[in-house]
Formats: sequence, structure tokens, C-alpha cells
Amino acid sequence: MLAETTQGYLPDEALPILSVHDLQAHFRTDRFGVKRDVKAVDGISFAVRRGEIYGLAGESSSGKTTLIKTIAGAVRPPLEVVGGRVDFAFLPSYGGLHRAPAAEVARIRWRHLSYIMQGSMNVLNPLRRLWASFVDFAYPHIGGSRKQFEQEVVAHLARLRLDPSVLAAYPHELSGGMRQRATIALATICRPDLILADEPTNALDVVVQKEVLGMISGIQREIGSSVLLVTHDLGVHAHVTGRLGIMYAGRLIEEAATAEIFRNPLHPYTRHLISSLPRIGDDVPRQGLEGAPPNLADPPPGCRFHPRCPLAMEICRCQVPATLETAPAHRVACFAVNRSAQP
Amino acid sequence: MSELLLDVSQVSKTFTRGGLLSRQRIVAVDDVSFQLDARRPEIFAIIGESGSGKTTLSRMILNVETPSSGKLLFDGTDLAAIRTSASRMSFMQKVQPIFQNPFESFNPLRRLERYLFMTQRRFIAADQRVTPEMAVDAALHKVGLSLKEVSRRYPHELSGGQLQRVAIARALLANPKLIVADEPVSMIDASLRISIVNLFKTLRDDLGISIIYVTHDLATAYYISDRIMIMQKGNVVESGDARTVLKAPQHPYSRQLREAALLPEAATDLSVSMTHLTSPRASER
Amino acid sequence: MTAILRDLLRHNTEFRTGAVLVGIVLLLSAMASFSPYPPQDVFVVPPDVPPSLTYWFGTTSRGQDVFWQLSFAIRNTLLFGCTVALISRLLALVIGLLSGYRGGWIDRALMSVNDTFIVIPLLPILVLFYFVMRDRMSWLLLASIMACLGWAYDARLIRSVAMSLKAREFTQSSLFSGMSTREILVQEHLPYVMPIVFSTSMNNMVWSIGLEVTLAVLGFTDINTPTIGGMIYWANQHTAMVAGVWWWIAFPTIAVIMTFIGLFLLAVSMNDYIDPRSRLHSFGGAS
Repeated sequence: MLAETTQGYLPDEALPILSVHDLQAHFRTDRFGVKRDVKAVDGISFAVRRGEIYGLAGESSSGKTTLIKTIAGAVRPPLEVVGGRVDFAFLPSYGGLHRAPAAEVARIRWRHLSYIMQGSMNVLNPLRRLWASFVDFAYPHIGGSRKQFEQEVVAHLARLRLDPSVLAAYPHELSGGMRQRATIALATICRPDLILADEPTNALDVVVQKEVLGMISGIQREIGSSVLLVTHDLGVHAHVTGRLGIMYAGRLIEEAATAEIFRNPLHPYTRHLISSLPRIGDDVPRQGLEGAPPNLADPPPGCRFHPRCPLAMEICRCQVPATLETAPAHRVACFAVNRSAQP
Repeated sequence: MSELLLDVSQVSKTFTRGGLLSRQRIVAVDDVSFQLDARRPEIFAIIGESGSGKTTLSRMILNVETPSSGKLLFDGTDLAAIRTSASRMSFMQKVQPIFQNPFESFNPLRRLERYLFMTQRRFIAADQRVTPEMAVDAALHKVGLSLKEVSRRYPHELSGGQLQRVAIARALLANPKLIVADEPVSMIDASLRISIVNLFKTLRDDLGISIIYVTHDLATAYYISDRIMIMQKGNVVESGDARTVLKAPQHPYSRQLREAALLPEAATDLSVSMTHLTSPRASER
Repeated sequence: MTAILRDLLRHNTEFRTGAVLVGIVLLLSAMASFSPYPPQDVFVVPPDVPPSLTYWFGTTSRGQDVFWQLSFAIRNTLLFGCTVALISRLLALVIGLLSGYRGGWIDRALMSVNDTFIVIPLLPILVLFYFVMRDRMSWLLLASIMACLGWAYDARLIRSVAMSLKAREFTQSSLFSGMSTREILVQEHLPYVMPIVFSTSMNNMVWSIGLEVTLAVLGFTDINTPTIGGMIYWANQHTAMVAGVWWWIAFPTIAVIMTFIGLFLLAVSMNDYIDPRSRLHSFGGAS
């Protein structure tokens, strides 16, 4: 049995595992007298419940990468957290990992919070064998004797259909899919409460991608972790996530159960996104969206989507739409949608 | 003018790696053949994963890579016989590339319009009625942009979708007969992807340009291609009419690809989507 | 261009310091045009006078004013360094770019020549040239010889950048836009190679001046044309340190140190600005 090494808190079942409240993170640069303030994350609030897979979808310059970096505590200049809080159920008091002392961060990393990153080579040390990575990251949390630990690791690898011989290999000797599975094994062996996954299958072939996604959901189901999955690929969200949040230009514009988003998207951006996806077997011609995502250093006032929105009204240019629960468990930030939903 | 625009016959490419003591032979493309008809412009999709040889094949068609065996004939001319710079220019005028990464397609340190004006100057004979500015503006209009928007801009000032359109406009300025597009939309946002893909359709229908569309994305290939060819590890696994092959693939690898394609329909299929679970942690400890 | 320099002067301390140092040195060398004494003449002023109001830097044992001698010396030394840097940069650029872009047998041939030049031991060859040419060794000839010995390392560096640029897609775009090899090398690749050229030319100047000083101190150059090394050579000949005429050695040394540090600071501070990667970084905001 694994030794429990938590120190002094009682997990509250009702508390969400991750709660982000009005988070604002900007990139502030001052080069050669030119000041730029890129509002990459501008007031985002959402929560991830226990045991669920929550997806964040967004395109380039939507701010999703900055968001996950901020949640993971990788906040270094020129990135600054300007406002808001990030609270974990296992680390309630600091308002963000970047504010917590190093000892606390070391305590929760891999044990309560772990990562599956975009490139598996970002996590695995290319100069050391896989076994060394497990020892470095997981052993301090799991403890026990080396032999026991080895047995744990082998058993865990079997869940991901990896042969124990991969432990003796260097990362570059494995294929991309195997490497990513090894990264998932590393991220899940301590049975963390929350896994942050940033484009986990981006560089993989389609067939391998499906396999790896299946493993992520399988393992998640087995050990009961929550997963925050960030990717631009809506197909991935459709297959894996339970709830989905759509990001646009640093803001969260819609959030609902994944099935609901695909069946009944409300925000004009989401509607266009969903309808523009080509499908095999469907010959209907599709229309693209005009314009381009805004420059976050100089975003449009009010609702950031209004320059491209077919439903834009006067108020959209002046005020930022609030995120309201338009339908049960379905939040939308749009004046047009929320207005028509009101009696 | 010959009947065949492009005749690829039994083309193979082998790479050898390593030094004197250990040589590795990698067969990137193995005995591939297909033809494109000159009278009927079409969109021909080459589908494969990484390592399938599709990029190497597209590079051979562009005459950037020479085949180890087999022949490539474009408009009756054997690519291997293109040696002088004049014949090379004449070939490049008729065959133009579109690359995967729009930000890499242009030198980040130079202005975009340079490439447009350069292409126009080098490939099109001077015409008194049409100034270079008019020609470039016309090409940009065909892709939904204008010279005013692009003038004096650097690549980083535009989005991926806009840059890719500029790349297509540049290719159009040479007045080509064939465009070889290697993963042209894979690095572009989903909402902008469909407009580029629609643009390819317009190029085929309105301008009569044939397009070789190299991709791993089955959905967009289905959407615009006339014929497709599926490659695996250098070999052609299946080919034929796009609708037929993708709706009912025959070869096991094609079937595998088809099943693995993550389609949005899955979200509304309740048996696949995940519902949130209560934590079983207490019993596991 | 002026906007860039103004920005650098305003915001970058290193650049300011470097600019000040180099500025002082340049001013000194410009003043040589106003010298009341021809540089080759000896015993025009009382010898061995320490620095005073009449003779700012003192006088040498050969009866020359150190200040005016130094102004000629630093001018000649700088000219020498610039010439060597210019010629060797040109060689390195042409060979490096051509070799990297073309590849094949051109690359192999040029790189064999390159490697030969890297292996040549500099000092013995220069001494050999001196002994063979002796009286006909003018500083221009010496500069040319040193330029021919100094291009090899940097050519390889430029070649590797050229090779990586060839693999990038915009090179293909340029090709299919109808550009010739020469046009691609000059218009597309050169901007990427310039920061290397710039910082290595600073390096090169420092190296050539150092070598020239060494040769002069040893007496292997034309010692009648005043150079920094020449001044130190004569100071040694007259055992200046022992005789207590410290100003003869001190001021040339300080001048050459100021030159080196100034050039280094300029190169380092401009590099940050000119380097394409850091410039691109300053353009984009992240998502």
C-alpha cells in the first residue's frame, strides 16, 4: 500500500478540486522605451469538480496556454498575475501556486497536481533513462522500499500497456506514442487529485492519438483524478471531456456539458466553430469566419468578438458581457444570447 | 500540350544515413504511380501519417528532391532533364508550392509584398495594360485580401490564416497549372481552416488549377478532394474516388485511419462521452 | 538607423559606455591631423619630461610628445584593425554563405581550404613573412596577410547558419518566387548572418590589434610608422620602466585597453538588438 503523506488537511468532497476566480494574467514588456501590456488572460472564472474531465478549447491567441501556465504556477516575468485567484482543494490559502512557498509547491507537485505537457521531451530528461525520471519525480512522494516502488511502477505501466523494459530505455529510443504514454504514467503514478494536460496528443499520429486519449480517460476513471484538458482540437474534446469551456481572446465565452455544446451551441463564435467543422459523409458546403482573432495588446473594447460577430449590437462595443447561466449548467457571455433568453 | 499534366510512374526514393561503418537505408517512397489529367483540373489528396512518405513524394513533384528510381513527367517534360536555369524557371512557373507553416513560408525579417512583386516580375511577361500593383492586388483579391492590407506588413503582423492566403496569392501570381500544398491548414485555427479549404475549391473551379493536397486530416480531404491516395510507410495502400474510399475504405489501414479520426459526432453519442464521477479515493487508499 | 542608435543610447547602459569609450579613442585619433610635430621626427621636444600642462602626456626618451605620438599611433592601429576586419569579413561571408548554401563538392573543396587555414600557426608564419619581406613589409601588406589568416573560423560559423537557413521554408518560397542564388544569399540570408559578422568583426579587430602590438613589441613590423605596438617597442628599447618613464608605456596601454573594452561593449549591446531572434521576440506578444 502506498503511504499517505498529506499533511494536515481534510479533503472536502463538495469543494471543487480547482477553482479559478476572475483570473487576470498579463504579459508586460518594456523594451527600448516601448511598453506593451498583453492581456492574455482577462477575467476568467470556472471550476473543475472532482473526478471530471474538464476541457478548455480555444484557438491561437485565445490565452489558453497562458491560463494553464498560470494555474500550474509557471509565472515568470514578463508574465504577471494582475488579479484574481487560483485555489486548489489541496492548497486553499495562497490564491495561486506562484504565491505559495517552495516547500508547499514541492509537496503537491506530482502528488496532488501533475502535468501532461505538449512535448513529452519537455518532461523526460533526454540524458537519463526512464527509470531515473520515475525515481526523481515519484519516489519522494510514494516512499517505501525501492523494491516496492519498482513493483508499483511496473504495475502502473501495465495499465498503459507499456512493457517494463521501457524503464531501461532513453526517451529518444521510444516512439512518440510510447513516450507520451510514459509521460502519462509518470503524471498518474502518485494518483494526483488534478492533472493538467496541455495539448497532450498534438504531435502524435491519428491512430496513436486515439489510443493515448483512450488511456487518459481509462486511467482517469480508474484512479478518480480530475483532468483539465487544454487543446484547440474539438474532436479531442468531443471524445474525452465531460464539460467544455470555450475561450476567445483571453475570456471564457461559453461553458456547458460537452454534448450540450455540440448539440446546442449558443454563443455566435461557438456556433460558427461547430458548424464549420467538416465531417466525413457530409457534403454540405461550409462557411468560414471572417476576420481574425484580435491582437491582445490592443483588444477591441467591450466584447472582444464584436468586430466579427453577426449579432453585434451597440452595447457590445461598450460593455463587457457578463457570463450568465442562460440555460441549466450552460453559461454564456453574450448580450444577444442572454437578452433573448430573458423573459 | 500533352494529355497528362503530371505523370508519376514507379517512383521510389531511398535515403542512406550513417558514415562509413554503419549505413542505414530508409525507403521513404516505394514504387508510387499516379496521373493527373491536363484537361480536367482536380484536387488530388495524398493522405498519410508521419513516415508515410507523402512529404518526400510532394518534394519530388516540386523537383526539390530527385527520385532514386522511376520517372516524373510534368506536361510532357521529364523532371530529371531540367538542368538549365531557364528550364527550371519555366517549370517553377507552372508548379508552385504551399507550405505547412505559414509563418515559416516568409522571411520574418522582410516585408511580405516583396515576394508578391518578385513572383509577378519574374514569371509574368510585362504587359502595358496591367501594372505590377494591379496584378498583385488582383491576386490578393482572389484570396480575399487586398494590397492595401498587406502593403508594408511583416509576417508577424498577420494571423496564420491571412499569411496562408498571402502564400496562396503568391503562388497564383505565377499563373501555375499545379499547386502542391503540403499540410496547408494543419497549423491554422479551426475557424479559419474552412475558408482556406474553400479557397482551394475556388481555385479548381474558377481558375482551372489542379491541386495536390497532402494531409493527414481525413475530414478536410473528404470535403474538397476529387480523388485520394492513402500511403503507409512509402507504399500506396488504397486510392480512388474520394467519396467512395472515405465512406467505405477497403484496406485495413484505411479503415484504421477512418476509425481513428476524431469526429465531433462522438460528443453527442452518449455511450462515448464521459460523465462526472464521484471520487472513489477512499476505497482505494 | 538613427532611431535605433538613439534608442540604444537612451536605454542601454552598455551601449552608452561603449560609445563613450570608443568616442574618446576616435577623438584622440582625429586630433592627429592637428599635430604640430610630424610623427616620424625625433628630438623635437625635451626628452623624458613627465606629464605636465605643456606636455599633457609627457615626452619620450626620443624627444617626442607622447600625446601627439599617441594620436597618430591609435589612428594607425585602428585603421589597421578595421582593414583586417573588413577584408576578412568579406572573405568569410562569401566563402561561408556559398559553401553553406551550395553544398556538394563546392562545400567540400572550400571547407578543405578553410580547415587548412585554421590549422596554420599564426605567429611563426607572420614572423616568417617578416624575415622574408623585411623592408618591404608595410602595414597594408601586413593587414592583408592577417586578413587572409583570420577568416577561417568565422567562415565555418557563417556556413552553419547558411545551412540551417537553406532548410527553412522561406528559402523555398524565395526560390519559387524566381530569385537567383546570389539574390537569395544577399537579400534573404544576409540579415540573419549580420549579427555574427558584426560581433566577430569586433572580435577580429581586437585579435588583429593584439597581434600587431605583439609583433611590433618584438620589433617585427615597420617601427617607424607610429603604432601602439611601436610605441611600446621603443619604450622597451629605452628601458622606460626601469628609467622611470612610466608615462611612455602607460598611456598607449590605457588607450588600447579603452579601445578593446569600448568595442566589446558596443558589440555586445548591439548584438541584442540586431539579432533576429531577440528582435522577433520583442515584436510578438504571447498568447
